[in-house]
Amino acid sequence: MATQHEPRPGIPSLFTQPPPIRDPLTTETVQLQETTLEKCLTFLKGLHPSQTGPFNAAGVPALLREDHVAYLYESLEDYPAGFVAMDASRPWMVYWALAGLTLLGENPTHFRERVLGTLRPMQNATGGFGGGHGQTSHLASSYAAVLALAMVGGAEAFALIEREAMWRWLGRLKQADGGFSVTEGGEEDVRGAYCASTIIALLDIPLALPSDAKKARDAGFETLTEGVAEYLSRCQSFEGGISGSPGVEAHGAYAFCALACLSILGAPEETIPKHMNIPLLLSWLSARQYAPEGGFSGRTNKLVDGCYSHWVGGCWPLLQSALDGKPQTTGVPSETVGSLFSREGLDRYILGCCQTPTGGLRDKPGKSADSYHTCYVLTGLSATQHYHYRTNVSVSPGSAFESAFSWRSSPMAAEEEVYEPADRLVAFHPLFVIPHQAAANLRLWCESHPISV
Amino acid sequence: MAGTYAADPEWADVSPIELNDGSESGAMPLATIAYPSDYLEATSYLRAVMAANEMSERALKLTKDVISMNPAHYTVWIYRAKILFALDKDLLEELEWLNGVSLKYLKNYQIWHHRQVLISSKKHFPTMPTKEPDFLMEMFTQDSKNYHVWTYRHWLVRHFKLWDSPREIHDVEALIQSDVYNNSAWNHRYMLRFGPRDDQPDAGMINAGDSSVSPEEKGRLTVVDEDLVDAELKFAQKQILRAPENRSSWWYARGVLRAASRGLEEWEEFAGRFVDGEQTKSSHAVEWLADVYAEGEKAKAVKMFTMLKEKYDPIRKNFWDYRIRQMGVVA
Repeated sequence: MATQHEPRPGIPSLFTQPPPIRDPLTTETVQLQETTLEKCLTFLKGLHPSQTGPFNAAGVPALLREDHVAYLYESLEDYPAGFVAMDASRPWMVYWALAGLTLLGENPTHFRERVLGTLRPMQNATGGFGGGHGQTSHLASSYAAVLALAMVGGAEAFALIEREAMWRWLGRLKQADGGFSVTEGGEEDVRGAYCASTIIALLDIPLALPSDAKKARDAGFETLTEGVAEYLSRCQSFEGGISGSPGVEAHGAYAFCALACLSILGAPEETIPKHMNIPLLLSWLSARQYAPEGGFSGRTNKLVDGCYSHWVGGCWPLLQSALDGKPQTTGVPSETVGSLFSREGLDRYILGCCQTPTGGLRDKPGKSADSYHTCYVLTGLSATQHYHYRTNVSVSPGSAFESAFSWRSSPMAAEEEVYEPADRLVAFHPLFVIPHQAAANLRLWCESHPISV
Repeated sequence: MAGTYAADPEWADVSPIELNDGSESGAMPLATIAYPSDYLEATSYLRAVMAANEMSERALKLTKDVISMNPAHYTVWIYRAKILFALDKDLLEELEWLNGVSLKYLKNYQIWHHRQVLISSKKHFPTMPTKEPDFLMEMFTQDSKNYHVWTYRHWLVRHFKLWDSPREIHDVEALIQSDVYNNSAWNHRYMLRFGPRDDQPDAGMINAGDSSVSPEEKGRLTVVDEDLVDAELKFAQKQILRAPENRSSWWYARGVLRAASRGLEEWEEFAGRFVDGEQTKSSHAVEWLADVYAEGEKAKAVKMFTMLKEKYDPIRKNFWDYRIRQMGVVA
């Protein structure tokens, strides 16, 4: 059996040995964790027969760039009948593939016509995009559609979005407690707040509530963004993490949505400490990283999953920037709290455990690749490869979203890293999860084409 | 397309709205699906009746048909709920059907919002349907950490004011007994014991969501039932003794002490029982002692943080170093 072999050279024992303390008690959670650990160890040691390498001096396999590119191009084409469950997620399929391809260095703009053609029938005259033609508008579909249009870029793509109708629709989604429901008649959660804030910031949507925003107006709100931060504050659980809605268990995906939303609504050094208990949050977030796996889990006592490379990993630049404080310069800050998690651990998990040999990335060994995991595992890898910081120069100076448009990134120094320089990915904006320039272009175009309300 | 609906006289007056998947733009649409013909037909009729906002028995049947082929189709669920109320249908019957669908599609969350929409009707459900907890426990036998089911159960507690219901705490204890690492159950327990009641907005901790109150005050009760606090601490200790390397039970205890504004030092002796050189049985106990010592005995705190970063939890080295630096000590 492969696990009996010596690991490849260059791998610290932290990533080849089980944790030092294990309880004698056995439950379902323990059994699942042990099984996952065993599977991961073979991959972390670089001993699984499907791992073709090449492996570098740190014992880390190379990124299968061409295979992942081919996988994502294929993911944009036709699906057989068995994929009917995806019928309400086609904007996501487009976003995940374009984002993944962009991270891998491909140019998504040649998809412009096809993206426009695909998304046009999904937009509703009453505002927003649904998951497909004839489907009710949904904040998740609208988020994915707006980001896909931002990535392919160009005036025709930007002009496709009916922003006045979007503004009215957002008003109808706003709830009396400050949050947003994801669709009219649908559930309210932290995803809704994040997707709405992203759309508002990128599209320069007027903040004043439209006249038919009944629930929000009755609650005394005057703007779309008022009360959102307070709603998110109520989603922090006693563990310190953030739940999908108030009172539920802390969860990595919702933590990213909440922290990114707070960082869009204002400067993170102000909004995050004002609304979150930082020591509890840091401790919970830090505990998401496991050894020897190196990857993140989404919740306490749950398994690692590659998608949390983004959802949990993406929280770190935001929190680190909040701790670094108000940006003082046009460049890299002179003092920083630095990286508070193990980039090496995450990189080893991503490159060792999440790559499938035929292209595409996955949750964990034993699972199949899909475009959701491919996108967010790659986003997580890219985030570890860059230092994300804010400057005192913004794409949108003086606006409500000045801080959100002041992020920059620079590559981490190669000598500290366990992956090869050739495996470096494109940097993404840490709040909008598309290239910095794509976000800036969309915002600036919208600022120069204001909607009259 | 000669399908079931086209051939049915009941549907003869409806002109189906064909799918526009983007092909008409001339550009090849992206991520297209080779839909089964019966799905294509049913959704074409769905678009037509939804466009007319039709509230009818046949539309209701159609929604069930679409759900059977694609339960992730959120639009059809919202439409179905509207029709059920418009036609004043028997919602208990709907719940029965929903139970089967829920057990079949464990990861689906449209189902749970639909259930919430139905049960939130005070007219139909002035009190909780009696079989509800049994069904939720049946769901938990399939997946005891199902996030959507727990989200729904939390809503149910708040909607029917079940914080002190014996059944709630009984179910939580049964789940913790069978898997002490079930963090979802621990969270539910915390909300039953220390979450805001109906005189305050819902929140994961009390004192949240008011910008004039510091986040440091989150989770701290103004009126403390010390007997309840002591009982919960005792419960946590019992569970820690079963499995000392379990973050859920240690962090529950932290939440309980925070609720009572009592310090971690009252558990210094208890935590110390699990920290003994090579025989150390809990990294969470080491962290507990580090936090106790960080208040004054910095050298001892550094020793604990160093144990964590070097031996018991080294993947979090950067975080432990940060904790050391925060005490004003060079890491």
